[in-house]
Amino acid sequence: MKKLSKLRAGFLAGLIMTLLAVFFVDINEAQAEYGDVVINNYSDGAGMRPVVFPHWFHRMRFRCKVCHADLGFKFKAGGNEINMVKIIDGQFCGACHNGEIAWSVENCNLCHSGKPNTPTQVHESTVQKLAQPTGAPKK
Amino acid sequence: MMTKKTIALLATALAFSAPLLAESGKDVYSKVCVTCHGSGLAGAPRYGNAADWTPRLAGGMAGLYQSALKGTPKGMPAKGGHLTLADADVKAAVDYMVGAVKDAAKLAKAEPEAKKEEPKKPEPKKEEPKKLEVKPTVAPAPVAAVPSMPVAEAASSGAAAAAAGSADANSFNRLLKPASKRNLPPPEDGIHDPTNDGTHALQPPLAAFGALPKSFAGNRINWVEAIGQKKINPRYDRNDPKAEPIVMDLNIVREVKGSMPDVVYPHKQHTEWLDCSNCHPAIFVPQKGANQISMAAILMGEKCGVCHGKVAFPVSECRNCHSKKKDMAKVASPADAGK
Repeated sequence: MKKLSKLRAGFLAGLIMTLLAVFFVDINEAQAEYGDVVINNYSDGAGMRPVVFPHWFHRMRFRCKVCHADLGFKFKAGGNEINMVKIIDGQFCGACHNGEIAWSVENCNLCHSGKPNTPTQVHESTVQKLAQPTGAPKK
Repeated sequence: MMTKKTIALLATALAFSAPLLAESGKDVYSKVCVTCHGSGLAGAPRYGNAADWTPRLAGGMAGLYQSALKGTPKGMPAKGGHLTLADADVKAAVDYMVGAVKDAAKLAKAEPEAKKEEPKKPEPKKEEPKKLEVKPTVAPAPVAAVPSMPVAEAASSGAAAAAAGSADANSFNRLLKPASKRNLPPPEDGIHDPTNDGTHALQPPLAAFGALPKSFAGNRINWVEAIGQKKINPRYDRNDPKAEPIVMDLNIVREVKGSMPDVVYPHKQHTEWLDCSNCHPAIFVPQKGANQISMAAILMGEKCGVCHGKVAFPVSECRNCHSKKKDMAKVASPADAGK
């Protein structure tokens, strides 16, 4: 009997810890990579997760010029009004994510992988830090 | 010879967050699972803690394997978030953790209940929920984050300490992001949705950063050096891997106010990455003296701040730009003359 209640208490504690951990991770500030861009112009409205673009991954493979000069990406998070039609027509991401240079658009969840309701942003940007210093209480 | 090779292999495996070369359950445990199963993070059954494991063992090994491979609603991510692990490696890790509990159980029989009361027995389990900060990030050394990874256990205990400390209002460097929170894998980075299957297929930054030269800010990678040392060779043309950048080697010196060293702007490093049209004429008028630049503007994301502070190194790295020493004697002399 005693053992059982102990077990149950253990379970409860575990559950609470899990909840706390989830809470902690979710609510606390994001620790994503420097330069990761969240693009949420239309995603939330369309019931998709926002897009997370990892700059670091792409700059290891392409120089800035390829996307920002050749493909016409403006230096502004969310400033390019990218949508899926443009992508399947070969513009913006679609210039490479076409099944030739990089994997194609059917892999929705690889790009649309952000937490719902995450606003458009350049993660860890100086502006972001100025407006909202790291570690400051959010509430 | 053999040993050297083995060490190199091990080092590589350690440097990468997804241990592709794991040979045994113990390896996998100490590289991956220990993050949560070492300390019981997020309710993970702790290594060697029979009380944690007994209820889980009731479902049999098949159930445990399944939980480890597919994840659980309680928080265990599929394969502990390391989807690159082979199924067999994951199972081996489960075996290893279960083995430790069985050993502990034998001891417990000999020496009654006492064991259960000891929460601090680092032992294995199956992998668990989010392993917050574990990863190959060594706690204090910002630069050495990746390469100096030999002691997985030390890292994880450091990580646990950091986790505990973060709750403390008077903790050290309250506003500073601790080393353990840098370069986290996508499921743990707070921006990616861990419930999205695609998130787990994304490459963790540290898996890619291993061999790259380090810096003290941003991604903690010195990207200019990475190209300079030919560690990476990003394409200059989308389709043509052989296209060479048009590099312009011209330094522009900008004299600045006060005691700060003058700024030397190197076209060379910029044209390695960028095209002239990226900056000229929209951001910078290509004419000497035509551009008003201030640190305030840069901080707010204008001028140099269009990239620096977003993807290129941030303004905290003052000396990277303010690199030309001024002749300070000149400043001192008028004051002396006044006397």
